[in-house]
Amino acid sequence: MNTWKILAGLVLAVGLVVWPFVIENRFLIHIGTMVCMYALLALSMNLMLRIGQLSLAHGALMGIGAYTSALVMMSLGFPFVVGFLLSGIVGGLVSLIIGPILLRIRGVYFVLLTFAFGEIVLLTFIEWVDVFGGVNGIFGVPRAQIFGYVIKDRSLSYLMALAMAAGGFFLLRALYRSEFGAIMETLEDDEELARSLGVNAMSYRLAVFVLSGAMAGFAGGFYASYFTFVSPGEFNFWTAVNLIVINVLGGIASPVGVILGALILVPLPELFRDAVQYQVLFYGLALIVFLKFMPDGLYGLIRKMRGKRNDR
Amino acid sequence: MSQLLIQILMNGLMMGLVYIMMALGFTLIFGIMRIVNFAHGEFYMLGAMAVMLLFSTLGINYFIAVLVAALMVAVVGMVIERLLLRQFVGRELNGMIMTLAIAITLKAGATIIFGPQEMSIPRPVSGVTNIAGILIPNDRMLVGAIAIAILVLFYFFLRYARAGLAMRAVAQDWEAAALQGIRPQRIYLMSFGIGCAMAGLAGALMAPIFTVSPFIGDVPMLKAFIVVILGGLGSLPGAVVGGLLLGVVEAGVATFINTTVATMISFALVVVILLFRPAGLMGQSR
Repeated sequence: MNTWKILAGLVLAVGLVVWPFVIENRFLIHIGTMVCMYALLALSMNLMLRIGQLSLAHGALMGIGAYTSALVMMSLGFPFVVGFLLSGIVGGLVSLIIGPILLRIRGVYFVLLTFAFGEIVLLTFIEWVDVFGGVNGIFGVPRAQIFGYVIKDRSLSYLMALAMAAGGFFLLRALYRSEFGAIMETLEDDEELARSLGVNAMSYRLAVFVLSGAMAGFAGGFYASYFTFVSPGEFNFWTAVNLIVINVLGGIASPVGVILGALILVPLPELFRDAVQYQVLFYGLALIVFLKFMPDGLYGLIRKMRGKRNDR
Repeated sequence: MSQLLIQILMNGLMMGLVYIMMALGFTLIFGIMRIVNFAHGEFYMLGAMAVMLLFSTLGINYFIAVLVAALMVAVVGMVIERLLLRQFVGRELNGMIMTLAIAITLKAGATIIFGPQEMSIPRPVSGVTNIAGILIPNDRMLVGAIAIAILVLFYFFLRYARAGLAMRAVAQDWEAAALQGIRPQRIYLMSFGIGCAMAGLAGALMAPIFTVSPFIGDVPMLKAFIVVILGGLGSLPGAVVGGLLLGVVEAGVATFINTTVATMISFALVVVILLFRPAGLMGQSR
């Protein structure tokens, strides 16, 4: 059984790496890249959902990463590697600075607070035209470049996104299985228990928020170089909502569910390309149906079915 | 100069009244159901759409059209409450995601039916009234008058009507209220309906002044949100004070600086208040 599992994992991994070189369809490769980028973002949102603090600032955190990377390369003239690393570092740093203030607030108030914070960041991008280029944003962001080799090829961009998503996935999986993960669970269910055991709840929350912010920042850094432009419209509160939708649809309980959600939701708009309104309508309706009938998401459903089969 | 100040004050008060109508419904729903209604702006939009159909397309008398529009929005709201929201009462985070889903769906539905373009409605009243040198457009004065009438009505309803008292009882402690024979489920339905009707009414009243499109609910929703934080989530008097404050401050800053800065200042204010006085300016922290 276990060897089969390992074998299946290997086949899956090789398949994920090799397919864009076999199927040389630019469009499909682009979709694959987007799935990976959103998977990373949704995983960063999953961290927040795990501690019960739904953040609407993640669009803004991604934007901070994207603008950081763009400006570090274009205004300061640093190479891509520096810009990209800084996009994650600054994302984490901003979280580290605002975290101790924001995380004291709980529940709805935290959601509203992160929403207001996100709007302020966005308005700063728009209003401070000299630095951030205003509503139009910044054009001509350099492409990703590693060891002097420019990643122009779509399949290589995909591989980079895949590596980021896989990194995020395995990091979260390891994290959730560790003692840290167990403490995170108590932070959501019963913080008093955690505190009574001598856990400094606040520093754990902060650590989760910083990691989450850094992941969103990295996704932003990737975004800037992949699309070669950044504009404030891409980082509004609907971005955060999309990440929540992916989580709810796939299932919050496991990183596998999050990947599943991204895999289904990101390509979805392409099916409705000719009619954007129908795409949005379908999006909303799907979310309603899932919230009402499948609160544990697709992954929860799969688990339930498996569980029933095992019982027999 | 004083002329200008009074003009700004009047404009601010007028917008403030519309904000209050939005914010009262929003805060009522939160106070009673513990649901943050992210779809509140969509009910504003539905009110505007309904008045466009009734008044502009079917040619029904404007005042009747406004009333019918508000009632229609109330019915839509109650159906949504019954089918989709009831199971989320008290479950704040999931309830919030559900209202987001409802907002997405309603907006997309309206875009499919009416198209994304901005449409205008003929004004039911026009002209300007000159009161001691201060110019007030008649249509805005009408909105102000109706809004004040509705707010007074709402106040007396909550204060003296049995149903209003029951609503306040459920907001305070639904278990104790249930022990007194009040059925919380009916109160949820009623308060969501009333909250949506007020949003729909605001939309119906503002439709001839601004344009109508599926996206017009976004800004009033944002304002309601700011007002409600200013006044304290769930606090009705807070919504009134917050609405007037936001209307006047915004009109002032927008005149002397610009609107982006006005919005930024209001959000910064929201952050500060949430951090230091989460119960709002008026509320007492528990």
